[in-house]
Amino acid sequence: MKFAYYPGCSARSTCAELNEATHKVAAGLGLDLVQIDSATCTGARELRAIDPVNFYTLNVRILALAEREGLPLMTICNTCTLNVLDAHAAFMDDPELAATINARLADEGLHYSGRTRISHFLWVLYEDIGEERLRALVRRPLTGLTVAAFYGCHITRPPQRYKFVDSRNNTALEHLAKILGCRPIDYSGRTECCGFHTAAHDERIAIKLTGQHIQSAKANGAQTMVTPCPLCHTVLDSFQHEIEKDMGEKLDMPILHLPQLVGLALGLSPEELRLDRHMIAFDPRMETA
Amino acid sequence: MSGTLPHGEARRLGQSERQDTLQSRNSRFAPGDTITVRVRRSDDGQLAEFRVPYRKWMRVLDALNWIAENGAPDLAYRWFCGSKMCGTCAVRMNGREVLACWEAVEPDMTIEPLRNLPVIRDLVVDRGPFERKVEALEPWLDRATPYSGFPEPLSHKDMKNASKALDCIGCMCCYSACPVIGLGDLTDFAGPAPLVQLGQTALDPRNDSAKVARSLSLTGIFNCVSCYKCEEVCPASIPIVTQVIEPLKAKAAALVPAMAKHSTALRATIAARGYVDPTALVLRVRGLAALLDLPRALRLLVRGKIDPIKTAFRRKTPASAAAARVLGQGRPSGDQPSGDRP
Repeated sequence: MKFAYYPGCSARSTCAELNEATHKVAAGLGLDLVQIDSATCTGARELRAIDPVNFYTLNVRILALAEREGLPLMTICNTCTLNVLDAHAAFMDDPELAATINARLADEGLHYSGRTRISHFLWVLYEDIGEERLRALVRRPLTGLTVAAFYGCHITRPPQRYKFVDSRNNTALEHLAKILGCRPIDYSGRTECCGFHTAAHDERIAIKLTGQHIQSAKANGAQTMVTPCPLCHTVLDSFQHEIEKDMGEKLDMPILHLPQLVGLALGLSPEELRLDRHMIAFDPRMETA
Repeated sequence: MSGTLPHGEARRLGQSERQDTLQSRNSRFAPGDTITVRVRRSDDGQLAEFRVPYRKWMRVLDALNWIAENGAPDLAYRWFCGSKMCGTCAVRMNGREVLACWEAVEPDMTIEPLRNLPVIRDLVVDRGPFERKVEALEPWLDRATPYSGFPEPLSHKDMKNASKALDCIGCMCCYSACPVIGLGDLTDFAGPAPLVQLGQTALDPRNDSAKVARSLSLTGIFNCVSCYKCEEVCPASIPIVTQVIEPLKAKAAALVPAMAKHSTALRATIAARGYVDPTALVLRVRGLAALLDLPRALRLLVRGKIDPIKTAFRRKTPASAAAARVLGQGRPSGDQPSGDRP
């Protein structure tokens, strides 16, 4: 199975371990990831608000690069995923916008016709690998590991994109955790916001919000948290010292990127998955505790 | 499930097994069923439990009416129209903001007052803080130039976003669901409900931009975390983030540029590099003061979370060339995607 691979900015900087782990896990799953080198940032939340036409252009350009390769696009970041999904929808809804964008893409010989299938790594596991094959690929079931799934926002909201009446009903991560042998726990933070998108100008929101989520995961018996989004990971892991300082409480909660959790179950080592790049250490012995 | 799911299904996992549709709600009951309802009472802060006989198509409001008539005549709750118009009956049911008059009952329900507003009694909250915020935002139309005469040049495209905001019934569901408002006075964020009220006129192109700028500068709008919690609970299905808050942010970036420092810095970072270097972004937004927390910078450096060399020496790449081509063409494109206004 071949995908045009879009890692996004975070997995190429702050969360470079996610990019490395994704490549290793993809190899283990039989996914062939094709780099699209000239792909840019999708514009995060900021460009999409203040500069919509250019936001759509950057995103449709990414979709056009995948379309030129004749490949579906695989993402590993919630916000990137929603951005390309929204740009695709806007492109299909507004012929005038579509024409404007294609005229600009023509400068570099690109054209988008709306054919690129967009899939986050989490969805690829279910739709392209399949539960049966995934179970067969699990070499080291993570038996006994209690996991708190942290969805974040942009993989389960807004309602007009994902059709949840109540986004808390999403079970994709918990179901996956069970396939890998873990025991998912229930807690209040599952589909709450980490506050990343205001952190560049004011970290206090992220620190306060995410502190509540980690605390709830811990109180409900989680040994680790797992997230499909590197932006959430940044707040959960890289900000955890600041969160602990703010709460006056030791949390010491290791945070895994989704591909790392899958990789551990596939039998990859913590070193191969670059768990050493996290601020809060994950103790591999926890699995058998 | 055992094999692969059809494309598009994985993103909806949980919807069918958890009956996450409005239609499926009533199918959870059989005639003669009893509903367990726990209501948060303000006298003692405790949940009072009631057993309510289920009636077909029963709504949360019907259950509250039954309790008031049969169990707790002193229960305080508010409603007027009973038909999703007046916006007075919003409560939280099992942790989610709903209109009592428009929500099907669940077999097991905990009913609580909205968050983020003072409780007057039981399920009745004081809307005062919201109303005072809205008043300060001057949410009315002022023309900078006199009415140009009939027919007025105004298209559905011009009013696309404002008309969505005009669907608001002022129920405060979004205000209760907003996590940033939940942090109290930590920020100056006005919150989704006041912003929707402002959007009704501020997103109207006839409005006086000096007045809109004045209003926007009071909103702390860039403290919205884009979590879409407000959209999720909006009974009027207003795309609050996409069609109200984001267009208002675009207006703020154009009319009060100092507010949009983070957004314009991110735009500049992408234009220069093709992607976002988080360190470069934070330095652009906060200046060199961001370097003051040395122990933290060191911790991040040790784990490879920051890369000063990469931040300091940016390379020209195919992505940076592409970003420069797209973004390097002057000013932001404004708040009207295919802008047909002059």
